[in-house]
Amino acid sequence: MRIGYYLRLALKSLARTPGLTALMMCAIGFGIAACIVMLTIYHAMSGNPIWWKNNVLYAVTMDTWAPRAPFDSDRPALPPPQLTYRDASYLFQSAIPQRKVMMYPIKGVLSGAPGQRHPAPVLTRATTADFFAMFDVSFEYGGAWDAAADRGPDPVVVISHEENERLFGGADSVGHTILWNGHPFRIVGVMGGWWPKPRFYDVINGAFDKPEDVYVPFGWGPALQQLPVGMVACWGDTSHDTYAGFLGGECSWIQMWVELPNAASRDRMLALMNAYAVSQRKSGRFRRPLDNRLTRVSQWLAEQGVVTNDSRLLLRLAFAFLAVSLINTAGILLAKFLRAAPTAGVRRALGATRAQIFLQYLIEVAALSLAGSGLGLALGALGLRAMHWLYAINTVDNSGYQELTHFDPAGLAWALALAFLSTFAAGLYPAWRIGRLPPATYLKSQ
Amino acid sequence: MSLNVKPVVSALRHNRAGAMLVALEIAIALAVMVNAAWIVAQRVHAIETPTGIDYHNMFAIGIAGVTGDFNPSAAEQADLAYVRSLPGVVSASVASGVPLAAHGQGDFFWKSPEQRGAMINPRTMQMDENGLKTLGAHIVAGRDFTAADIVPYFNDYSRLAHEALITQSLARKLFPGGDALGKALYTGSDNLVTIIGITNDFMGSVVRADPSYDTLVFPQTPGTDGFYYILVRTRPGKTQALMQAVVDHIAPSSLDRVITFAHPFDYFKQRLDAENRNVVIFLTTITALVLAVACLGIFGLTTFNVSARTKQIGTMRAIGARRRDVVAHFMIENAIVLIAGVLVGCTLALGAAYWLTAQYQLPRLDLVYLAVGVIGVAIVGQLAAWQPARRAASVPPSVATRTV
Repeated sequence: MRIGYYLRLALKSLARTPGLTALMMCAIGFGIAACIVMLTIYHAMSGNPIWWKNNVLYAVTMDTWAPRAPFDSDRPALPPPQLTYRDASYLFQSAIPQRKVMMYPIKGVLSGAPGQRHPAPVLTRATTADFFAMFDVSFEYGGAWDAAADRGPDPVVVISHEENERLFGGADSVGHTILWNGHPFRIVGVMGGWWPKPRFYDVINGAFDKPEDVYVPFGWGPALQQLPVGMVACWGDTSHDTYAGFLGGECSWIQMWVELPNAASRDRMLALMNAYAVSQRKSGRFRRPLDNRLTRVSQWLAEQGVVTNDSRLLLRLAFAFLAVSLINTAGILLAKFLRAAPTAGVRRALGATRAQIFLQYLIEVAALSLAGSGLGLALGALGLRAMHWLYAINTVDNSGYQELTHFDPAGLAWALALAFLSTFAAGLYPAWRIGRLPPATYLKSQ
Repeated sequence: MSLNVKPVVSALRHNRAGAMLVALEIAIALAVMVNAAWIVAQRVHAIETPTGIDYHNMFAIGIAGVTGDFNPSAAEQADLAYVRSLPGVVSASVASGVPLAAHGQGDFFWKSPEQRGAMINPRTMQMDENGLKTLGAHIVAGRDFTAADIVPYFNDYSRLAHEALITQSLARKLFPGGDALGKALYTGSDNLVTIIGITNDFMGSVVRADPSYDTLVFPQTPGTDGFYYILVRTRPGKTQALMQAVVDHIAPSSLDRVITFAHPFDYFKQRLDAENRNVVIFLTTITALVLAVACLGIFGLTTFNVSARTKQIGTMRAIGARRRDVVAHFMIENAIVLIAGVLVGCTLALGAAYWLTAQYQLPRLDLVYLAVGVIGVAIVGQLAAWQPARRAASVPPSVATRTV
């Protein structure tokens, strides 16, 4: 078999210069590894964890900010990412969206579970009933509360899989009563393991944080006069002296999402928002140019800067490094092949075609690519372990940055493809050059 | 010594593609190294920017009340009394935020009650009269808070303090004339705050952006929503043990509040630097590898040139070239490739630097970095060619007479 013969020749040729072969492999390997590390992190950061609903889920924003300056001077084109209590409450009454949710993170302390001796702080989200169906949250036991519980608000609670493990050892805890912030709440649902990455529904308070462990109906904040613990941005004459003053003031702290099944409902929702904003202007609000938005998940993630500039920059540098490695490989292979020109000349003189010479050297390139890619993958996996370790040292708590460093199986496929194809491309020119050499010149000195 | 460039050039033309590839490799390598080094320098600067806080000897404990009825005032005083009774504690304060950490808030202020002109957004903190001492900060103008200034927390949402301390940087930014002391800031039309003291620069909490020296302190004990933080400064080396002692004391003492976290400030500082440190580590590794690979390219090219031209070298030696002429031949050949690479590399490096400045607001590249990069690449590049060139010189003249 000719290919087998070429392969033997290739391995022989690579083995003849073991030092150089090793050096080329290392250069390729490190270049590939750097790209794999950065691509894995970039890929994890830039994912859309609910892509199948990208065309129906919208973040709701309205520009209610101070008339003289944009909300964020670094990104002046964007309105505040959250709504005020009164605007969210008004929009929430609308029947246009198929599903709708408004929410905020709130302080939570759990106690009263069987065997729990001391109260424990717990991350809590106050939200509305549609949250679970809208964001495709799976349930291990029980399910969401109904819309009527939002109106109460009823003392019902949904807990995460992890919290259920901690409090009940994983048993079905639906129907149990626990104390949340000192008040009895009935468990209605236990979520399955759910961790969208990035945490698209709230990228403002930690895009890669774990989802909260406890969910209570939206109204419990106002009912207990508790402030949100996430980002609160206020301006204007807002009087913070009373809780009512806080609720009625120009403080944006409520995140709102709507599910709009088609373009018509989307247009109607936007029209409602615009009409509302215009009517509010009569009472002196909405003094900036009208800027009400319904933003799809993918665009929301891009606008809110979920992918950090650093990761973008490092990814580009990793590719520049790979380019250096590949050019290096091409240069060395070229020199090496040209040195073997007399041998190729003999083969041509004995009747080998250009294509055959080309194929022969291409197989040597392929062998090198494969070895380099293998090394690159191994080094890339090591590099990701190192990043995992770095993140472990540098971030603790519930930050999910570490989760970005996992080598996913789909990623493995494209990393392998990138590694092999790029190295192969680097060797293409040298192999082509040697194939095209006129045999006569190289036979002369023999 | 005959430094004849002409035969070198004609030799170069022999493997034009190879030489061009190495030149290109050097060019990209130079661009990557110079810009990576520049970015690393910025990040190292950010890590080394003084915090203004004695963070090596401090810890913070977060406390949250269990129910809405929890009034933190009594608990705060009890906690502080315990902490201050511990030997090794230098100072302790309750606060509404933790400098260097993502626990805290910012406020919007204007210089006029009509909210005209620039809006400033410093990090704000409520602390008691021991606050500055606890942070290791001090007054540079005006006066510090006294116990009489401290507005105790009431179980509502009012911020009743109308006096404040601000840092030097914030004072300069607000009142470039240097007359910040005694001036008023406004959060709303009727809500004014008088600046009674100016402190040295120290960093506030991490709220939405990296911490800056724009910090403002209110004389008030915290407690909104039942949250407060205990900040403690200790004698050197005592932080960890004292933090554990305070946690062990507070945790079982009551069922009406919980500890949300307890960390030494070194932890917050490390966390703050995490992203920068990761960038520094990654870029330093990449830079070293790029340089190594570029050297490898030069080494490989020269090695193959030498072995491919063994016969020609023998001929050179046979017709009278000295060993050092052979070395010079290859070194000049390498130098030409290097110069070409460096010239293209400078263009690439400047282009990349311009793009980085436009895209990522990176400060404009300091040309010293480019100069050092060029010199470094030149030296290392020539060194990489040295060993193969020496090997070329050892080719005996007799090789010329042999057929290979």
